[in-house]
Amino acid sequence: MLYDVNLTIGYRYDTPVSGGRHMVRVLPLSIPGRQRLVAGALSVDPAPGERADRTDFFDNPMSSILFRSPHDRLDIRMQARVHVETPEPAADFSPPVSGLAEDIAGYWSLDAGAPHHYTGASPRLPACPEISDYARAIVTPDMTIRAAATAICARIHADFTYDTKATSVDTTPREAFRLKRGVCQDFSHVMIVALRSLGIPAGYVSGFLRTIPPPGKERLEGADAMHAWVRFWCGRVNGWMELDPTNDMPSGSDHIVVAHGRDYADVAPVIGVLKGYGQHKTTQAVDVIPVRQTA
Amino acid sequence: MKTTKAEAGRIEVPAHGYAPLPGVADEMIDADGAVRPVWRHFLAALGRMDQTELAGRFARADRYLRDAGVFYRSYGKEADVDRAWPLSHIPVLIDEAEWTGVSRGLVQRAELLEAVVADIYGRNELVANGLLPPALVGENAEFLRPLVGVKPAGGHFLHFVSFEIGRGPDGNWWVLSDRTQAPSGAGFALENRVATARAFSDVYAETHAHRLAGFFGAFRDTLQASRQSPEERIAVLTPGLANETYFEHAYIARYLGFMLLEGEDLTVVGGKVMVRTVAGLKPIGVLWRRLDASFADPLELDQNSHIGTPGLVEALRAGSVSIVNALGAGIVETRAMLAFLPNICRQVLGEEQIMPSVATWWCGQETERAHVAAHIGRMVIGPAYSTRPFFDDEGRSVLGSTLRETARDSIMEWLASDGAHLVGQEAVTLSTTPAWVGGRLVPRPMSLRVFAARTRDGWQIMPGGFARIGAGDDVAAIAMQRGGSAADVWIVSPRPVERSTLLPADRNFTRTMPGSLPSRAADNLFWLGRYIERAEGALRILRAWHGRYAEYADPGQPLLKDVTRYLDALDIDTAEPVPTSLIRNIDSAVFSASAIRDRFSPDGWLALNDLSKTARRFHTSIEPGDDATRAMTVLLRKLAGFAGLVHENMYRFTGWRFLSIGRYLERGLHMTRLLGHLSGEDAPDGALDMLLEIGDSVMTHRRRYAVATARLTVTDLLALDPLNPRSVLYQLNEIKNEVEQLPNAFVNGQMSPFYREAMRLHAGLAVMTPEGMSDRIYGRFETELERLSDILGQTYLG
Repeated sequence: MLYDVNLTIGYRYDTPVSGGRHMVRVLPLSIPGRQRLVAGALSVDPAPGERADRTDFFDNPMSSILFRSPHDRLDIRMQARVHVETPEPAADFSPPVSGLAEDIAGYWSLDAGAPHHYTGASPRLPACPEISDYARAIVTPDMTIRAAATAICARIHADFTYDTKATSVDTTPREAFRLKRGVCQDFSHVMIVALRSLGIPAGYVSGFLRTIPPPGKERLEGADAMHAWVRFWCGRVNGWMELDPTNDMPSGSDHIVVAHGRDYADVAPVIGVLKGYGQHKTTQAVDVIPVRQTA
Repeated sequence: MKTTKAEAGRIEVPAHGYAPLPGVADEMIDADGAVRPVWRHFLAALGRMDQTELAGRFARADRYLRDAGVFYRSYGKEADVDRAWPLSHIPVLIDEAEWTGVSRGLVQRAELLEAVVADIYGRNELVANGLLPPALVGENAEFLRPLVGVKPAGGHFLHFVSFEIGRGPDGNWWVLSDRTQAPSGAGFALENRVATARAFSDVYAETHAHRLAGFFGAFRDTLQASRQSPEERIAVLTPGLANETYFEHAYIARYLGFMLLEGEDLTVVGGKVMVRTVAGLKPIGVLWRRLDASFADPLELDQNSHIGTPGLVEALRAGSVSIVNALGAGIVETRAMLAFLPNICRQVLGEEQIMPSVATWWCGQETERAHVAAHIGRMVIGPAYSTRPFFDDEGRSVLGSTLRETARDSIMEWLASDGAHLVGQEAVTLSTTPAWVGGRLVPRPMSLRVFAARTRDGWQIMPGGFARIGAGDDVAAIAMQRGGSAADVWIVSPRPVERSTLLPADRNFTRTMPGSLPSRAADNLFWLGRYIERAEGALRILRAWHGRYAEYADPGQPLLKDVTRYLDALDIDTAEPVPTSLIRNIDSAVFSASAIRDRFSPDGWLALNDLSKTARRFHTSIEPGDDATRAMTVLLRKLAGFAGLVHENMYRFTGWRFLSIGRYLERGLHMTRLLGHLSGEDAPDGALDMLLEIGDSVMTHRRRYAVATARLTVTDLLALDPLNPRSVLYQLNEIKNEVEQLPNAFVNGQMSPFYREAMRLHAGLAVMTPEGMSDRIYGRFETELERLSDILGQTYLG
């Protein structure tokens, strides 16, 4: 599938801020065999005093921007054309949960795709005994990694209610787990903690999801939002796979990857430190538009 | 006369009844029971002193530490408190020849740690070649991914490290843990030295103990040389005054002549770290950080950090600033790493480790886990990712030999289920050293913290260190938070040693001026001035109020009622003899002062704390009326004591000007407000006399005018008299004089907005006559003074 993705993140400050520094991760990734960024651009208004574009440790493209003069608003716009492959259904060759430790220990590297970054606690995801118990009750040691992850994904989807009011961007996985409510970030965080507690390396994927309008309704512009799901490591041979606990499905040609990380903290679309006082309002508009390909 | 070894021991030891513990090495007594030669002179001297003399000597050392303001912060259940520095007065003496061996081992170790850090953040060959399990890095909270691939300016990751070492029963030294993050203790080692040398000045002078200054001097020179341009400043970056070793940060900065900065003082512009000063942004060339790396940049590292500098990692990536030590270097403190160092040393340096680490097994590997389980009785089991030695990790380590059979089973289970997060370490017995307890010498377990600095001539080991002495026989009691103490370490040479000092060696004396004042320090000085003056203003009004209350015994009396209303508007409640808001105000002064403690004499700091303590005591114990009047007088005297110490001792430079402007401004505001309220035509009876009393001008008025007060004479004296240090005009005149000498008073030959405003305000009042003053005019000046404060903030403190 070919998509045009438009994203606008806007900030309105009650009182002008005298300066600020931000890190932005919104441009889709190119992943061989998964998706290809055909073209993409990030623009910032007002024009920042400094801007540097590079990739981070996990190979995500990012921009670091600095403002030195007072401003009362900030608009970050991203436009991209992305080609997403349609995944082919593959047989499950992943090892059983009990046999994964050997594969991990035998991976003598710390490259961005190494499982070692994804096994322990990460900034937003400390171990949580309640979630470990939950995971252990779902999985048996003879299950394959993929079967185990699929079972946990289905169970979270069944037990949790999608609720945009119940949680915030700072909600911990433990809080979300107790509420059994939340949004894609909470579903994904709980699932990652569950998988790690079983010894399965798991990470956070931020991105976009094409939404299909209800039958008979037109697609509303800007109605889409950024999305998050989970990837997990199935051993040397099978590598990384993705599951979306919010929708209980493997990621498909509608999932466009923006960034990989250990949890939300690694991939937050905008991280900023401002110089100023007072409140601000944030708005976000996303459009994922399928592009008709003429053969 | 020839004495045998045994005789030497017999003659000297019983002097204080010292008996080492069986099976434990001792620093003073060797394996044969004889006093080690290096101790003989010291011990003999000690033997000639009686209890009274010794007590006097120890008191001299303690007084020095108290006067120098040496403290450490103890984290308590209810509140964190500053504790007196627990000095163990008997130094640890080590023979120079033995120290040479220790130094050789530690230099090799510093090189080894540098190689490991450089590899983890660089080529990653240790993992690729199987020398370091990737999990120990990947799961490590000190592995800072944004720093991967960032080459440090100057090429080195480590510049200042420390080692915790101990002597085992066989007499050999072992490394217990490494400190590469932000090692503390070097400043305390200096203070221990000064204090101990005070106690034993005569003995110290006769002992050829190596001096410490040369070590610090070499490191300072190296840092200075590592700047990319001479305009660049060197700064000690502190997490702030809440940190347990803040005293040391301030001390080191002062000792070496570096700036003492917090993350907030810094900003990154164009990939360059700059300090915000009252004279604008100034470049920083070297940052000696004393805060943990993850807090250093809230943008790329711990996003919850409030003490970091956004963009610092970006500046490091640009290679524009040297940092001591590189962010992320803390990873080699990890306890489990000790298990892999011997092999890495062999493979990377091609040599055996000269000084071994305490034997360590990472239980994430099956063979090692089995070994630990089989020898559990001689093991300490602890967290693999801990960065502290086992005796100082808040009880998170378990001594295998202390476990009952039943508990052992659960440890085995623990090892099996969570091995990757555990290490087993050989339970070492540390050597003992004499401490003076209950009037005699007793053996106490000891570990040494030794410091290494990278200098232009390679790694140098400080000839001395910081000995940590246990509170009892238990090794675990070495931790200072658990009652341990600290002792000086004398490395004794058979020959006279070089007496280095940090004073410049060249003969041509040059007078250096203080560097640019950081804006945050200026802000704190300005507000300290304001808070102190605000407290004084409140105290004077309250004293006058209570004096009259004692007379009338009726708070409904018109003047008292009127002033009560006035105070109420300032949030001062006359129902409380020593009002809560006054206490808060003094606390604010203490808080501002503590943030800039390195700029004060310890005497000033003590005086301010004394004021705060007394005010708190009065708060609960004072009755209204005469009792309160007396209390206010005491507090005013203490406040004047502090102000006097500052006035007499503070160097007249930029910092002083901000403090002064704060005081003049607040005093001007206080008097303007008071005149507006109490000098009007409709003011109650006795208001003018009260004004004079609050303005401390009763005598002057009597001398210059008459015994009876009149509106015009009081107005003239308190508002317009340029010679009365309490008058409003006097304050404006002084502000004008100070502003003239601030940086950037003139911009391109023009007065700065702040200077212009100060001039305008002064001129506006100078031309007034007593007849022309009214509450409306006072109101206008009050607004303008507040505005002047705002402009000062925008110009210098932002």
